[in-house]
Amino acid sequence: MGLFDAIEIAGSGLTAQRVRMDVTSENLANADTTKTATGQPYQRQDVALRQIEPGGFGGALSGALAQSESSPAAGGVQVSGIVTDSTPDQQVYDPGNPEADAQGYVKMPNISTVTEMTDLISEQQAYQSDVTAMQTAKSMFTSTLGILK
Amino acid sequence: MRGSWQRQTALTNNVANAETPGYERQEVNFESALQNAVGEGEPLEQVQFQTETVPTLAGPNGGTVSVDEEDAKVAQNGLDYQALTQVANTRNSIMRAAMGLN
Repeated sequence: MGLFDAIEIAGSGLTAQRVRMDVTSENLANADTTKTATGQPYQRQDVALRQIEPGGFGGALSGALAQSESSPAAGGVQVSGIVTDSTPDQQVYDPGNPEADAQGYVKMPNISTVTEMTDLISEQQAYQSDVTAMQTAKSMFTSTLGILK
Repeated sequence: MRGSWQRQTALTNNVANAETPGYERQEVNFESALQNAVGEGEPLEQVQFQTETVPTLAGPNGGTVSVDEEDAKVAQNGLDYQALTQVANTRNSIMRAAMGLN
Protein backbone atom coordinates (compact mmCIF):
# COMPACT_ATOMS: atom_id res chain seq x y z
CA MET A 1 0.00 0.00 0.00
CA GLY A 2 1.86 3.02 -1.24
CA LEU A 3 1.30 6.66 -0.52
CA PHE A 4 0.12 7.63 -3.99
CA ASP A 5 -1.71 4.42 -4.93
CA ALA A 6 -5.14 6.07 -4.87
CA ILE A 7 -3.96 8.85 -7.17
CA GLU A 8 -2.30 6.40 -9.57
CA ILE A 9 -5.40 4.21 -9.70
CA ALA A 10 -7.65 7.20 -10.41
CA GLY A 11 -5.15 8.20 -13.11
CA SER A 12 -5.43 4.77 -14.74
CA GLY A 13 -9.21 5.23 -14.71
CA LEU A 14 -8.87 8.62 -16.42
CA THR A 15 -6.68 7.11 -19.15
CA ALA A 16 -9.09 4.22 -19.73
CA GLN A 17 -12.10 6.54 -19.97
CA ARG A 18 -10.24 8.80 -22.40
CA VAL A 19 -9.53 5.84 -24.69
CA ARG A 20 -13.23 4.91 -24.56
CA MET A 21 -14.11 8.50 -25.41
CA ASP A 22 -11.68 8.43 -28.40
CA VAL A 23 -13.21 5.21 -29.72
CA THR A 24 -16.78 6.49 -29.32
CA SER A 25 -15.84 9.66 -31.22
CA GLU A 26 -14.34 7.51 -33.97
CA ASN A 27 -17.59 5.52 -34.16
CA LEU A 28 -19.70 8.69 -34.34
CA ALA A 29 -17.47 10.24 -36.98
CA ASN A 30 -17.74 7.10 -39.11
CA ALA A 31 -21.46 6.47 -38.57
CA ASP A 32 -22.09 6.96 -42.31
CA THR A 33 -18.83 5.61 -43.75
CA THR A 34 -19.82 3.07 -46.41
CA LYS A 35 -16.33 2.20 -47.63
CA THR A 36 -13.12 1.59 -45.71
CA ALA A 37 -9.74 0.27 -46.88
CA THR A 38 -11.18 -3.28 -47.00
CA GLY A 39 -14.03 -2.16 -49.28
CA GLN A 40 -16.57 -2.93 -46.55
CA PRO A 41 -18.53 -0.44 -44.45
CA TYR A 42 -16.95 0.82 -41.23
CA GLN A 43 -17.32 -1.59 -38.30
CA ARG A 44 -18.15 -0.33 -34.85
CA GLN A 45 -15.23 -0.45 -32.37
CA ASP A 46 -15.55 -1.17 -28.68
CA VAL A 47 -13.09 -0.98 -25.78
CA ALA A 48 -12.46 -3.95 -23.48
CA LEU A 49 -11.40 -3.00 -19.96
CA ARG A 50 -9.49 -5.15 -17.50
CA GLN A 51 -8.48 -4.82 -13.90
CA ILE A 52 -4.73 -4.44 -13.37
CA GLU A 53 -3.89 -7.35 -11.10
CA PRO A 54 -2.36 -6.34 -7.81
CA GLY A 55 1.11 -7.79 -7.73
CA GLY A 56 3.08 -7.62 -10.96
CA PHE A 57 6.45 -5.92 -10.93
CA GLY A 58 5.43 -2.77 -9.06
CA GLY A 59 3.44 -4.70 -6.49
CA ALA A 60 6.24 -7.23 -5.92
CA LEU A 61 8.76 -4.41 -5.55
CA SER A 62 6.74 -2.41 -3.04
CA GLY A 63 5.92 -5.64 -1.16
CA ALA A 64 9.65 -6.46 -0.93
CA LEU A 65 10.43 -2.92 0.22
CA ALA A 66 7.75 -3.06 2.89
CA GLN A 67 8.97 -6.56 3.86
CA SER A 68 5.50 -7.60 4.92
CA GLU A 69 2.79 -9.96 3.78
CA SER A 70 0.13 -7.28 4.03
CA SER A 71 -2.17 -6.69 1.09
CA PRO A 72 -0.26 -5.61 -2.03
CA ALA A 73 -0.98 -2.42 -3.93
CA ALA A 74 -4.39 -2.35 -5.55
CA GLY A 75 -4.01 -2.18 -9.30
CA GLY A 76 -6.34 0.11 -11.20
CA VAL A 77 -7.77 -0.43 -14.66
CA GLN A 78 -6.31 -0.78 -18.13
CA VAL A 79 -7.52 -1.14 -21.70
CA SER A 80 -7.01 -4.77 -22.65
CA GLY A 81 -7.86 -4.17 -26.28
CA ILE A 82 -10.04 -2.44 -28.84
CA VAL A 83 -12.43 -4.99 -30.33
CA THR A 84 -14.58 -4.86 -33.44
CA ASP A 85 -18.32 -5.19 -32.92
CA SER A 86 -19.47 -8.03 -35.19
CA THR A 87 -23.12 -6.98 -35.37
CA PRO A 88 -24.23 -7.25 -39.05
CA ASP A 89 -24.24 -4.10 -41.19
CA GLN A 90 -27.46 -2.21 -41.71
CA GLN A 91 -29.11 -2.41 -45.15
CA VAL A 92 -30.57 0.92 -46.22
CA TYR A 93 -32.65 1.41 -49.39
CA ASP A 94 -31.06 4.34 -51.22
CA PRO A 95 -30.91 3.70 -55.00
CA GLY A 96 -29.36 7.13 -55.67
CA ASN A 97 -26.26 6.30 -53.62
CA PRO A 98 -23.18 5.44 -55.73
CA GLU A 99 -22.51 2.50 -53.36
CA ALA A 100 -25.98 0.98 -53.90
CA ASP A 101 -26.20 -2.60 -55.22
CA ALA A 102 -28.45 -3.77 -58.10
CA GLN A 103 -31.53 -3.77 -55.82
CA GLY A 104 -30.82 -0.24 -54.60
CA TYR A 105 -29.61 -1.24 -51.11
CA VAL A 106 -26.57 0.34 -49.45
CA LYS A 107 -24.61 -1.40 -46.67
CA MET A 108 -24.28 1.08 -43.80
CA PRO A 109 -22.09 0.70 -40.67
CA ASN A 110 -23.52 -1.17 -37.66
CA ILE A 111 -23.64 2.05 -35.63
CA SER A 112 -26.60 3.46 -33.75
CA THR A 113 -26.02 7.13 -32.94
CA VAL A 114 -28.21 6.79 -29.82
CA THR A 115 -25.99 4.00 -28.42
CA GLU A 116 -22.88 6.08 -29.03
CA MET A 117 -24.40 9.15 -27.33
CA THR A 118 -25.39 7.15 -24.23
CA ASP A 119 -21.88 5.65 -24.20
CA LEU A 120 -20.47 9.19 -24.28
CA ILE A 121 -22.57 10.17 -21.25
CA SER A 122 -21.47 7.09 -19.30
CA GLU A 123 -17.81 7.78 -20.17
CA GLN A 124 -18.11 11.40 -19.07
CA GLN A 125 -19.65 10.40 -15.73
CA ALA A 126 -17.04 7.71 -15.09
CA TYR A 127 -14.32 10.28 -15.85
CA GLN A 128 -15.85 12.73 -13.38
CA SER A 129 -16.04 10.03 -10.68
CA ASP A 130 -12.34 9.31 -11.18
CA VAL A 131 -11.53 13.01 -10.89
CA THR A 132 -13.59 13.24 -7.66
CA ALA A 133 -11.78 10.23 -6.17
CA MET A 134 -8.43 11.78 -7.10
CA GLN A 135 -9.37 15.12 -5.53
CA THR A 136 -10.46 13.41 -2.31
CA ALA A 137 -7.16 11.51 -2.12
CA LYS A 138 -5.35 14.79 -2.70
CA SER A 139 -7.18 16.58 0.11
CA MET A 140 -6.48 13.63 2.43
CA PHE A 141 -2.82 13.93 1.59
CA THR A 142 -2.90 17.69 2.19
CA SER A 143 -4.49 17.24 5.61
CA THR A 144 -1.74 14.75 6.53
CA LEU A 145 0.84 17.39 5.68
CA GLY A 146 -1.11 19.76 7.95
CA ILE A 147 -0.29 17.59 10.99
CA LEU A 148 3.37 18.49 10.67
CA LYS A 149 2.73 22.23 10.86
CA MET B 1 -5.63 6.96 9.54
CA ARG B 2 -3.77 4.04 7.98
CA GLY B 3 -7.00 2.06 7.63
CA SER B 4 -8.86 5.01 6.18
CA TRP B 5 -6.05 5.58 3.68
CA GLN B 6 -6.14 1.94 2.58
CA ARG B 7 -9.92 2.13 2.22
CA GLN B 8 -9.52 5.18 -0.02
CA THR B 9 -7.20 3.17 -2.29
CA ALA B 10 -9.74 0.33 -2.51
CA LEU B 11 -12.63 2.73 -3.22
CA THR B 12 -10.64 4.47 -5.96
CA ASN B 13 -9.94 1.09 -7.50
CA ASN B 14 -13.69 0.39 -7.45
CA VAL B 15 -14.46 3.65 -9.25
CA ALA B 16 -11.73 3.02 -11.85
CA ASN B 17 -13.07 -0.49 -12.50
CA ALA B 18 -16.74 0.50 -12.52
CA GLU B 19 -17.02 -0.46 -16.20
CA THR B 20 -14.80 -3.56 -16.05
CA PRO B 21 -16.87 -6.69 -16.72
CA GLY B 22 -16.69 -9.26 -13.92
CA TYR B 23 -14.92 -6.94 -11.46
CA GLU B 24 -15.90 -7.43 -7.81
CA ARG B 25 -15.87 -4.40 -5.53
CA GLN B 26 -13.34 -4.20 -2.70
CA GLU B 27 -13.67 -2.86 0.82
CA VAL B 28 -11.39 -2.39 3.83
CA ASN B 29 -13.19 -2.97 7.12
CA PHE B 30 -10.51 -1.51 9.38
CA GLU B 31 -12.96 -0.64 12.17
CA SER B 32 -13.74 -4.28 12.94
CA ALA B 33 -10.04 -5.21 12.64
CA LEU B 34 -9.24 -2.55 15.27
CA GLN B 35 -12.13 -3.68 17.46
CA ASN B 36 -10.86 -7.27 17.38
CA ALA B 37 -7.36 -6.09 18.26
CA VAL B 38 -8.70 -4.10 21.23
CA GLY B 39 -10.75 -7.11 22.36
CA GLU B 40 -7.74 -9.41 22.18
CA GLY B 41 -5.33 -6.89 23.65
CA GLU B 42 -3.06 -6.78 20.59
CA PRO B 43 -0.91 -3.68 20.01
CA LEU B 44 -2.88 -1.45 17.62
CA GLU B 45 0.19 -0.27 15.70
CA GLN B 46 0.79 -3.76 14.35
CA VAL B 47 -2.71 -4.52 13.10
CA GLN B 48 -2.73 -5.33 9.36
CA PHE B 49 -5.87 -4.37 7.47
CA GLN B 50 -7.14 -6.67 4.74
CA THR B 51 -8.51 -5.47 1.42
CA GLU B 52 -11.26 -7.96 0.67
CA THR B 53 -13.72 -8.43 -2.17
CA VAL B 54 -17.35 -8.02 -1.24
CA PRO B 55 -19.95 -10.34 -2.77
CA THR B 56 -22.69 -8.13 -4.18
CA LEU B 57 -25.37 -8.71 -6.77
CA ALA B 58 -23.74 -8.32 -10.21
CA GLY B 59 -25.05 -5.73 -12.65
CA PRO B 60 -25.72 -6.28 -16.36
CA ASN B 61 -22.01 -6.28 -17.30
CA GLY B 62 -21.02 -8.71 -14.52
CA GLY B 63 -19.39 -5.99 -12.41
CA THR B 64 -20.60 -5.27 -8.88
CA VAL B 65 -19.75 -1.54 -8.62
CA SER B 66 -22.38 1.19 -8.31
CA VAL B 67 -20.55 4.44 -9.13
CA ASP B 68 -22.99 6.56 -7.12
CA GLU B 69 -22.47 4.48 -3.99
CA GLU B 70 -18.70 4.53 -4.46
CA ASP B 71 -18.75 8.33 -4.93
CA ALA B 72 -20.67 8.71 -1.68
CA LYS B 73 -18.23 6.38 0.12
CA VAL B 74 -15.23 8.28 -1.29
CA ALA B 75 -16.66 11.55 0.05
CA GLN B 76 -17.48 9.98 3.44
CA ASN B 77 -14.06 8.42 3.81
CA GLY B 78 -12.37 11.72 2.91
CA LEU B 79 -14.28 13.46 5.72
CA ASP B 80 -13.53 10.61 8.15
CA TYR B 81 -9.86 10.98 7.35
CA GLN B 82 -9.96 14.74 7.95
CA ALA B 83 -11.63 14.15 11.31
CA LEU B 84 -8.83 11.70 12.20
CA THR B 85 -6.13 14.19 11.21
CA GLN B 86 -7.83 16.79 13.41
CA VAL B 87 -7.63 14.38 16.34
CA ALA B 88 -3.93 13.89 15.60
CA ASN B 89 -3.47 17.67 15.37
CA THR B 90 -5.22 18.25 18.69
CA ARG B 91 -3.08 15.58 20.32
CA ASN B 92 0.01 17.27 18.97
CA SER B 93 -1.02 20.67 20.30
CA ILE B 94 -1.77 19.18 23.74
CA MET B 95 1.76 17.74 23.78
CA ARG B 96 3.22 21.07 22.66
CA ALA B 97 1.28 22.90 25.36
CA ALA B 98 2.56 20.43 27.96
CA MET B 99 6.11 21.13 26.81
CA GLY B 100 5.47 24.87 26.97
CA LEU B 101 6.16 25.36 23.27
CA ASN B 102 2.93 26.71 21.79
